[in-house]
Amino acid sequence: MVFVKSFAVNGSHVRRTDQVLEVDFPYMQTSVEMEPKSTEAVAVLVKQMYTFRTQLKVARLGVMLVGWGGNNGSTLTGALISNKRQISWNTAKGPRAPNLFGSVVMSSTVRVGANSAGEDVFAPMHELLPMVHPDEIVLGGWDINRANLAHAMQRAKVFDYDLQRRLIPHMESLAPLPSVYYPDFIASNQEQRADNVLPGDNKTEHLNIIRQNIREFKRDKNVDQVIVLWTATTERFSEVVPGINDTAENLLDAINASEEEISPSTLFAVASILEGAPYINGSPQNTFVPGCIQLAERKGVFIAGDDFKSGQTKFKSVMIDFLVNAGIKPTAIVSYNHLGNNDGHNLSAPSQFRSKEISKSNVVDDMVKSNRILFRDDEHPDHIVVIKYVPTVADSKRAMDEYTSEIFMGGTNTVITHNTCEDSLLAAPLILDLVILCELFCRITYKTSSTDGFMPFHHVLSFLGYMLKAPLVPSGTPVVNALFKQRACIENVLRVCSGLPVEDDLRLEHHVHSVDMRNRSESNCNIVKNVCRRDHEEFYANGSLANGNGSVTSSRSRTRPGDSKPKV
Amino acid sequence: MTDNNEQRRRNASRTSGSTTATGLLKVVSPDVKYEADFIYASYPYRTVNAVVQEDGDVRAEPVERLYHFRTAVRPRKLGLMQVGWGGNNGTTVTAAVVANQQNITWETRAQQHLPNYNGSLTQASTMRVGFDAQGRDIFVPMKSVLPMVEPNDIVLGGWDISGCNLADAMDKAKVLEPDLRSKLRPFMEDMVPLRAAFDQQFIAKNQQPRATNILSTSDKGEQLEQLRKDIRNFKSTKELEYVVIIWTGNSERYATEITGVNDTASNLMTAIKESHQEVSPSTLYCVAAILEGCPYVNGSPQNTFVPGVVELARERNVMICGDDFKSGQTKMKSVLVDYLIGCGFKIKTMVTYNHLGNNDMYQLTDEVMWKPKSASKSRVVEDIVDSNGVLYKGNEDSIDHIVVVKYVPFLGDSKRDVSEYTSEGFMDGHYTTIMHNECLDSALCAPLILDLAIFVELFSRVQYAVEEGDAGLRKDKYSGMETALSVLGFYMKIPRVPPGEPIVSALGRQKACIENLLRALVGLPPENNLLLERKCPF
Repeated sequence: MVFVKSFAVNGSHVRRTDQVLEVDFPYMQTSVEMEPKSTEAVAVLVKQMYTFRTQLKVARLGVMLVGWGGNNGSTLTGALISNKRQISWNTAKGPRAPNLFGSVVMSSTVRVGANSAGEDVFAPMHELLPMVHPDEIVLGGWDINRANLAHAMQRAKVFDYDLQRRLIPHMESLAPLPSVYYPDFIASNQEQRADNVLPGDNKTEHLNIIRQNIREFKRDKNVDQVIVLWTATTERFSEVVPGINDTAENLLDAINASEEEISPSTLFAVASILEGAPYINGSPQNTFVPGCIQLAERKGVFIAGDDFKSGQTKFKSVMIDFLVNAGIKPTAIVSYNHLGNNDGHNLSAPSQFRSKEISKSNVVDDMVKSNRILFRDDEHPDHIVVIKYVPTVADSKRAMDEYTSEIFMGGTNTVITHNTCEDSLLAAPLILDLVILCELFCRITYKTSSTDGFMPFHHVLSFLGYMLKAPLVPSGTPVVNALFKQRACIENVLRVCSGLPVEDDLRLEHHVHSVDMRNRSESNCNIVKNVCRRDHEEFYANGSLANGNGSVTSSRSRTRPGDSKPKV
Repeated sequence: MTDNNEQRRRNASRTSGSTTATGLLKVVSPDVKYEADFIYASYPYRTVNAVVQEDGDVRAEPVERLYHFRTAVRPRKLGLMQVGWGGNNGTTVTAAVVANQQNITWETRAQQHLPNYNGSLTQASTMRVGFDAQGRDIFVPMKSVLPMVEPNDIVLGGWDISGCNLADAMDKAKVLEPDLRSKLRPFMEDMVPLRAAFDQQFIAKNQQPRATNILSTSDKGEQLEQLRKDIRNFKSTKELEYVVIIWTGNSERYATEITGVNDTASNLMTAIKESHQEVSPSTLYCVAAILEGCPYVNGSPQNTFVPGVVELARERNVMICGDDFKSGQTKMKSVLVDYLIGCGFKIKTMVTYNHLGNNDMYQLTDEVMWKPKSASKSRVVEDIVDSNGVLYKGNEDSIDHIVVVKYVPFLGDSKRDVSEYTSEGFMDGHYTTIMHNECLDSALCAPLILDLAIFVELFSRVQYAVEEGDAGLRKDKYSGMETALSVLGFYMKIPRVPPGEPIVSALGRQKACIENLLRALVGLPPENNLLLERKCPF
């Protein structure tokens, strides 16, 4: 296998200028007709030509976090500074260097293709298209607590002491803007933290101040694009009330009237949309009431949500997909969590927990529904979610899950998992991924024969589902929670816009036949057969049907099965 | 604590949901043609030639080739001969097929159970086709995409070194419930395995007491002839059109690969005639199968497919598939490692313990027999690690990977897998996952055996021809698929691949490969998970 740092795509379907990259892509749309009285499905294929246009110039990006002084906000800030300034630190086990592990954009790779030796060539995902580099991101934001970011980082107890010490001088001067605090929406135990809040209870004034904050941030920091992202604690659900938050007009009127059911997060979202800044909801509450979604549509601003998928739920969306896809029937999913950070403290209140519980429990629904062989229409696995506040463990989250499944002929498969990780170290790289991809998607437009010129993606940015527990999708669209499908979706949209074909994992040149297609450029059928024969001779000469290809980057792949010496 | 039904309903009304069609799928497209005997499909396959420049940059050149597939519509009457028929896997497969055929239900202290094929991709998994007019996602069972053999129609047979009939062997396996066993006994008592080829030096000494049903001759040439005759007899007496041989016997030790002995087909044939000691029983079965034109699947880790066998399979155009069923811990590992590295986590340690008490494990207590198993379990993550040069830089930067297997008789077939994965996450954060996974070993494995037989039969009906856009090439004659069936890597710990093909171990990619091939055979586009019609409406 070969690993490369960057690559460019050539081909007649790709047009590149200094400013834009345009790619033609034939999308096969499959419509299914079910005969009313029959169980037979008829799939009708229609080819739709798309042209994707990507502006190549990356915007100077500013990210404003709601809850900047929380564990996620301070961890992200410290990590970006540490990476940019290459601040290393000492631990009991030796020195450590900063990194961006856990970010799918910055630390995962995609298969580009095969080189002339037949080896797979991989490249980092961020090389597919020009994207913001994390070093270039400017951070800012609000918090209901006035602690500066250095203090917030110490309070979070996430980074090693030595790293905290080295970061303090860089973070002391960073202070969050005053935030919106309506006690009814978050747990009463948060009251003591609320010492940095906008005065009064006039929601229009609050809205205007937030809008002004965004404008000033954009101007002062000289950024082209601002994204606002909620990483604060969970609110209770807002009631969706006709006349209040069901349409864009009603919602704006309700803010004017300072209606009670307008939550702080909806206020931030509305401010953000009105300023043309995409808004991402990293908590489970229903910030995106119908009026808010409508407003985003009208203003043509991206919104994405809900709730970061970082730990237990992420793992669950792998496990259930794996089981159901293998034809195994999960019948009970019992999930216990305990943690001791402020988010855990807030979630110890029943109505905040309820928000969390809902976003956590829907995550298996699509996978269950996709298989009516295993599950009847009305059938659903038992699914329990418990979260407990345990101050001692602080940010170190523990997730314990038991998955019980029915397998072949009444057999039972029981999987028990115990996951430990710093909550904020899981969430911070997701925040990076969300804003980097969101900035990129702001630069991509598409055209088909029936669109009116180039259009932006749907305003509900469901491409980002990979990072979210309960992905908000355009209305009438199925939700996809399976993690591998979500990752494939991101990878494939990036591939398509860069001019690469979608990854179909088929490798027909190998699986279907052994003819070496790469040597065929000027050949004819007879030569193909000769190549085929030569291939065989070579391989006889080598003495074995190799178990895989040799590797350029690692000698481990060259190990023959008999040579491998596992440590037992 | 969780009454989320209300929320689920609310959610369901917001989104469009999905449903599963149960009947056959029919595709309407200019690219597919259904005829009485064949389904014809053309499939534009897009791949990328990556030209690595001197500075490390890569020029990616997408290439499109038009594949024409032709699939014979009618599944043949299929016989499955298992080597090790009387073992836990063999008896469980047999019991399941009989119980499903006869629709035998059974009672446990919990409830009445119905027979099923859960755990089988072909029988119990589904794939997405597209949206219907209401915007619902339509899923279809994998088996409804193309005509496949029904497991209930598979005729079973095979060999075993133990002469127990299948009913007694099933009792000994202690896998199925007693009520089911007593109901199955009348159907399985008359099934007796054929005499097996046995060579003491290839399996552990502790198997000697079981070896009561072995061929009388130790002449390997004669053994080969007998095995071939067994296959022919089975085919003719059961009136079968197609027979697949699957090794589900114990792990053998590795055969030494010696130039002049097993390096070419002709040398191998000579070595068999001369009863060379490095010709293993499994190689004998495999050669017998190939010479009879029957595909051979190797469900254990040994190197049955010595170079001479691979050459013979190619010469005779017979499919082979291996090695070692991927059913439990390794399957889970090929999900978790793909997940973690795919998320950008750097796995540093994988410490995996297994304990169980069935006969397969008993024989693995022998150090020589353990070697192939240990190798096949250890290598499963290499390709996934190698694919990420951001996380892993160079050879020294590897994973501590430990595999321990212990024999614990009390547990019988109930396998326990205890694993710890420690990864480096963001800013030196440590992500630790501990897993305890418990299942009946044979209940995991048996559905894989049925899938393998069904898929091998299907893929033997598939032919292809290639047309290349620019050069205007056309291969007019259809030919059969590659004989080393790497497309079934999903089922194998160490997939046997044709020369020069990189191994793929990630389970999700292996599943996508099978699914997308089935889709291509009926002219459906590969699943790209883009759902562009909703994200970029037109």
